[in-house]
Amino acid sequence: MIESLSLHKPHIEHWLVLSAILFAIGLYGLLSRRNAIGILMSIELMLNSAVLNLAAFNRFVAPASVDGQIMALFVIAVAAAEAVVAMAIFVAIFRYRRIVDVNRMDLMKD
Amino acid sequence: MEQFSFVFRNAWLIPAIPLVSFAVLGLFVSPISKRLAGVIGTVAIFISAAFAFLLAWNYFLSPAGKEHTALIAWTCEWLRYQTGLTVNIGVLVDPISVLLMSVVTTVSALVHLYSIGYMHGDEGYGRFFGYLNLFTFSMLGLVVAPNIIQMYICWELVGVSSFLLIGLYYQKPAAVAASNKAFIVTRFADLGFLIGIIILGYYGYHFFGEFAPAVASTAVKNGVTNLQPFDFLYLTNSAVLAKLASINLHFFDISLLTASMVLVFMGAAGKSAMFPLHIWLPDAMEGPTPVSALIHAATMVVAGVYLVARLFPAFAASGTALLLVAYVGAFTSIFAAIIGITQDDIKRVLAFSTLSQLGYMMLALGVATMAHPLGYSASMFHLFTHAFFKALLFLAAGAVIHAVNTNNIWEMGGLAKKLPVTHATFLVATLAISGIWPFAGFFSKDEILASALSGGHYVVFAIALTVAGITALYMFRIYFVTFWGKSRGDAAGHAHEAPAVMLLPLVMLAILSATVGFVNFSDYVSIGEPIEHHGINSKIAVSATAAALTGVFLAIFFYTGQTDRAAMMSRLLGRIYTLVKQKFYIDEFYIFVTHQILFRFISRPAAWFDRHIVDGGVNLSAWITRTTGGKLRYLQTGQVQVYSLWFVGGMLFLLLILWAGAR
Amino acid sequence: MISDAVYTLLFYAIAIITIVFALAVTMSRNLLRAAVYLMMVLLTTASLYIMLDAEFLAGIQVLIYVGGIVVLIVFAVMLTKSAEMLDRPPLRRKLSAGLASLVFAAVTICVFWTSRFPIAQNHVAVPPNNTEEIGLKLLDYGSGGYILPFEIISILLLAAIIGGIVVARKTPPPEQPFTTGGDLTGEADFDAPHTQRPRTGKHI
Repeated sequence: MIESLSLHKPHIEHWLVLSAILFAIGLYGLLSRRNAIGILMSIELMLNSAVLNLAAFNRFVAPASVDGQIMALFVIAVAAAEAVVAMAIFVAIFRYRRIVDVNRMDLMKD
Repeated sequence: MEQFSFVFRNAWLIPAIPLVSFAVLGLFVSPISKRLAGVIGTVAIFISAAFAFLLAWNYFLSPAGKEHTALIAWTCEWLRYQTGLTVNIGVLVDPISVLLMSVVTTVSALVHLYSIGYMHGDEGYGRFFGYLNLFTFSMLGLVVAPNIIQMYICWELVGVSSFLLIGLYYQKPAAVAASNKAFIVTRFADLGFLIGIIILGYYGYHFFGEFAPAVASTAVKNGVTNLQPFDFLYLTNSAVLAKLASINLHFFDISLLTASMVLVFMGAAGKSAMFPLHIWLPDAMEGPTPVSALIHAATMVVAGVYLVARLFPAFAASGTALLLVAYVGAFTSIFAAIIGITQDDIKRVLAFSTLSQLGYMMLALGVATMAHPLGYSASMFHLFTHAFFKALLFLAAGAVIHAVNTNNIWEMGGLAKKLPVTHATFLVATLAISGIWPFAGFFSKDEILASALSGGHYVVFAIALTVAGITALYMFRIYFVTFWGKSRGDAAGHAHEAPAVMLLPLVMLAILSATVGFVNFSDYVSIGEPIEHHGINSKIAVSATAAALTGVFLAIFFYTGQTDRAAMMSRLLGRIYTLVKQKFYIDEFYIFVTHQILFRFISRPAAWFDRHIVDGGVNLSAWITRTTGGKLRYLQTGQVQVYSLWFVGGMLFLLLILWAGAR
Repeated sequence: MISDAVYTLLFYAIAIITIVFALAVTMSRNLLRAAVYLMMVLLTTASLYIMLDAEFLAGIQVLIYVGGIVVLIVFAVMLTKSAEMLDRPPLRRKLSAGLASLVFAAVTICVFWTSRFPIAQNHVAVPPNNTEEIGLKLLDYGSGGYILPFEIISILLLAAIIGGIVVARKTPPPEQPFTTGGDLTGEADFDAPHTQRPRTGKHI
């Protein structure tokens, strides 16, 4: 048991599959949530899976360098900036419309 | 070339002055003062005429003129298609262009002067002088063209000016119809001309590398520095023509040269109103009389003759085309002369006379060859003399019409005493056109007849002699009916002589008509081999005079005193008379062809095709777009998540493609 | 040997926990709970980073994501009263979203599983001074340095802060509603007093 476990140490494919699953879950949330903040959370989930991807590649492809981690840091920073702006927008919309349902935000259709 | 220093170098001014004058008149003057427009237009043409005379004087009295050298006075590049294929504009100075320049500017200047009186008080006065200047420019540009492209452009420009001037009274339906008819018929003929130019230009350019060095080395002395494939100097070179004539089209066994020359002659026939395309010229008399005198008698209609003369070596190299020219000319000449006897409108008689005389010129060109070029000189000579006496006839007829306000000769009569100057000048012109010694027409007709006879074209000679008689008959017919006998209309009784400004050109043209015959013309204008000196051939002179006098006596017999002899004669001829009077039903034939055949079997199916297939196709594509758009509209829900769903789908699709491509 | 076995075990355990919490984030009807689940996902991911020898990244993850973004989200949820309204997406939307994400997962996993990656062969060599090197690289002017992206990110963050303040600041509501349908002001116009009606009669 222990031996087989030690022989099946997770390889890069496993990490990537994990991140793909997380991304797909985030995608599901992105496509199904009605609340804008829920969508934002899903997006954070997807970004997170992307960061995981970067870290995994860094570990397995170029373990001697830290470039992948630096990319991951940038992604986190951008995610933070995005979250700030998105929150501000949602709060502003809520102030006018008392709701943050994306299904009702369809003014651009006309 | 130093002997023509100033005038020669500035020969481009001759066409340029009318152009500038046209622009100034059209843009600035005629909206302000119509009277000033007339004065400026006339003065411009007189300056141009003075230049043309200076040039002619310098050219013909210099050795170059005696040797009939063609010189390029001025040239500049105008269109560049590629290196080695450019079109220049320029001024070609050679005997016929100098001749035509003098004729055009002289007649144009006198017509301008006359028009100041004739058009006085007309509402189209300013416009009229602008158009006349435009026409004069175009005609001069045509005359001096050193290459066939410039000639074609100016050719169309004279067509446009003719259209504008025929339709000057555009409120009059007949004038509009006539101007359209003139434009469409000549335009149709120009299609042939254009195709001919394209063929000539294509093959000329094809062989340009082969012949250009040899031609260019001889052309240098003509002042040509960069020879182009469209230049007349290149196109009329004997080596080039021999090459073109050697290409067989395997179509009725005609050569390439013949085919292109026949097409070019189609254009010439349209402009010069040769037989099947003559129908526009009689109707063109709807324009003001000075226009008829200038454009439809003296200058524009001889453009076709001039074109054939300009390309004469090419026509001569293709014997078939030249023969066609001779027979079309001969047929037109007798055909129009016969119709001329029966017409009642004074201007129409003169129009048919013009047709007949143009046929004469064509005929003379057709019987000439490079070895026996008498006909070439004769044709140009007739062109020269005809310009004066025919312009005079029209202007005098205009003076008559001005006095009696009608075109119908049967409403005139007895005008000899009331309009003495007009009567005298008209008589001079009638004698000149009939070929009575010592008036101008005698000499030029004599040369034409001599050239036909010496060339061995007996049929053509017989036709020409007959036409000489018929010409005298119809000209004296209108002369007697108009000026002799009693006044038949109210207006004819109260006719007054025209003002001096109109009479002055009449008198000047009468002097010219009476005297220009004595110019020893073939010394100045000829082509090919030198002409053996011939002088006046007594046999031909006697027969021509006899024919003319027969015509005169017939006219005296029928149309002086009582006129019932003519009426009896027409009754006697019955149907034949009607046939001739209706101009052999050519117009009706054309209408039948266009309406019953062209419209029904070509235009209508074409219209149906356009309406149902072409438009239907357009409508179908519009319908498809609209329907698809209507359906696609539902995709745009405004729901951001629906959009992202599509986005994800597209992304997956791309991912699959990339993945499949990478494996 | 034993550590490898523990490593494997840990990986699968944390992966399953992460996936479960992620599903909870997207499916929870109460957004406040979803935010808490999200925090859990981020924390487990941080532990995954540690397993990938990216300790600094794990620290940043906890600091920024958990300490910053999740708090921000929680604030937003409360400010917009989203926790009071349960998020019930329509079934059609759920099905299509589920289908799309399943297809996406299938395709991506397929691609990952069939692709060959240029794996580094020496399995050890992760330098122990990871963090130090990150810091040096971020501030390096040389060819492998990230000083320019670093500065740009700083400017981006500054812009985001200012933008957030400007957008969320309290301003008077605009004249026009956001949508044409379902708003209160649209109908109100019909009942507005007829002060603008043109007078046709005489001035009384």
